[in-house]
Amino acid sequence: MKGFKVLSAGIFSSIQDQGRNGYKHLGITQSGAMDEYAYLWSQKLLNNQNSNAIEIMVGLKLEVQLNTNIAICGADLTFKINDIPQAIWQTHYVQKGDILSFPQRISGQRAYLAVKEGFNIQKKYGSYATTLREKIGHKIQKNNILKYKSTTKIETKRLKKEFIPNYHNTLNLRLLPSYQNNCFTKKEQEKFFNNEYEITLENNRMGAKLKGLAIRSSKGGIVSEGIAFGSVQIPQDGQPILLLKERQTIGGYSKIGTVLALDCFKFAQLAVGDTVQFEKITLEVAREKMLKFYTNN
Amino acid sequence: MTFKIIAVNSLIIYFKQAISEEVLDQVQATYLALKSIEGILDLTPSYCSILVEFDIFIYEHKILERKINQTLRGLALTDENPNKLIKIPTNYKKNLDLEHVAKHNNLSIEEVINIHTQTTYRVYAIGFMLGFAYLATVDNKIATPRLESPRKKVPKGSVALADLQTAIYPQDSAGGWNIIGHTEFDNFHTFEVGDRVQFERL
Repeated sequence: MKGFKVLSAGIFSSIQDQGRNGYKHLGITQSGAMDEYAYLWSQKLLNNQNSNAIEIMVGLKLEVQLNTNIAICGADLTFKINDIPQAIWQTHYVQKGDILSFPQRISGQRAYLAVKEGFNIQKKYGSYATTLREKIGHKIQKNNILKYKSTTKIETKRLKKEFIPNYHNTLNLRLLPSYQNNCFTKKEQEKFFNNEYEITLENNRMGAKLKGLAIRSSKGGIVSEGIAFGSVQIPQDGQPILLLKERQTIGGYSKIGTVLALDCFKFAQLAVGDTVQFEKITLEVAREKMLKFYTNN
Repeated sequence: MTFKIIAVNSLIIYFKQAISEEVLDQVQATYLALKSIEGILDLTPSYCSILVEFDIFIYEHKILERKINQTLRGLALTDENPNKLIKIPTNYKKNLDLEHVAKHNNLSIEEVINIHTQTTYRVYAIGFMLGFAYLATVDNKIATPRLESPRKKVPKGSVALADLQTAIYPQDSAGGWNIIGHTEFDNFHTFEVGDRVQFERL
């Protein structure tokens, strides 16, 4: 079977889906697309169900071996077909011999390339998601063939402009206070909510270390416990760490709360040096926003 | 047992905040009972808590809490013992730090091996990496602190010791625990919080 031949793997390209559920008791992390907003649109444009996509950071170059429809959503990585720049957040019909490339990052960090009916790869633990440190999933390497079924039916769908996000270099992260938030005094919490934090070099699919005014917990470590998506843990040095899709399943640092998943998806498009500010959200509002998100997407 | 709301799709159940077999028994019994509730997507049991992630289109926190409480009330009627015993055939010869552990505790190597194999350990938590089970409680007589600086590569199957905990490395990884043996055991998916584990000398 043929598909895309990988001419250049780029900086970090991996197969992802919406993530892995049901194996955290074995220490297996959630993983999956860092930006579900862009990922889910890449699926919807092609009418894919329970499928997958390539998460691309930059530099991926593919040769098309079989005609198919693709959709690209997320970061602007100057997507080109045969060296001609193309619009994203829409489908494209690509044909044998075409070269797809993502040579340069303009805005955002992660783009999703989906193919009609998905890549034909094996699920592991119920999911296509890739986690390199667990050696689970599919890291994309040069000369790989990413297989899919070919189609002759040309699809043309694009997302309405009003739904296409603009990626900025600042972001508000709406946080539900929980976990050990009572280990942080009112004064420490004020510091936390009233100051900006900068994204440091230590950021990846596991989480992001932030830099700003240090926050002190009245407690040192805690007994290791399960870590939810979007948890903000504060280690001894007082610098918050936002935990994302590939977070460790358990950990022993105090946590001040959890960031709304929608905002974590937006966070996935920020870069080193960009800034965030935390603000409180109530459970009722948070729940309403998440229900709406998954109903529309 | 108390519930705390964690996120839109999760809550955590806290048991008495102590590391003890008694609490572990409660965590295990609860974990096993909750596994069968439809709409719960993931359970992360640990020393004295269980993180519960659920489908937000099926549950709200209050409704799930009620469902969990109902399920656990039913549990009081059963007395089956859920503990499985996992035996780990261990070769105490292929090792790096066995002598160090012996010296640190003023014991002979034989004594260290005897003490390590005599205890039946429990799985208190799984994490750090896929299938890495934290086993406790190691007899105080052989307790040894972690290495001052971690090794870049600890081979898969290494049986290791750190303070009052012991473990098996499920894959090659960096690590700072004292390596006292090696096992060909490879079934790391079998470990669940609460299970009993015993090392057998080869």
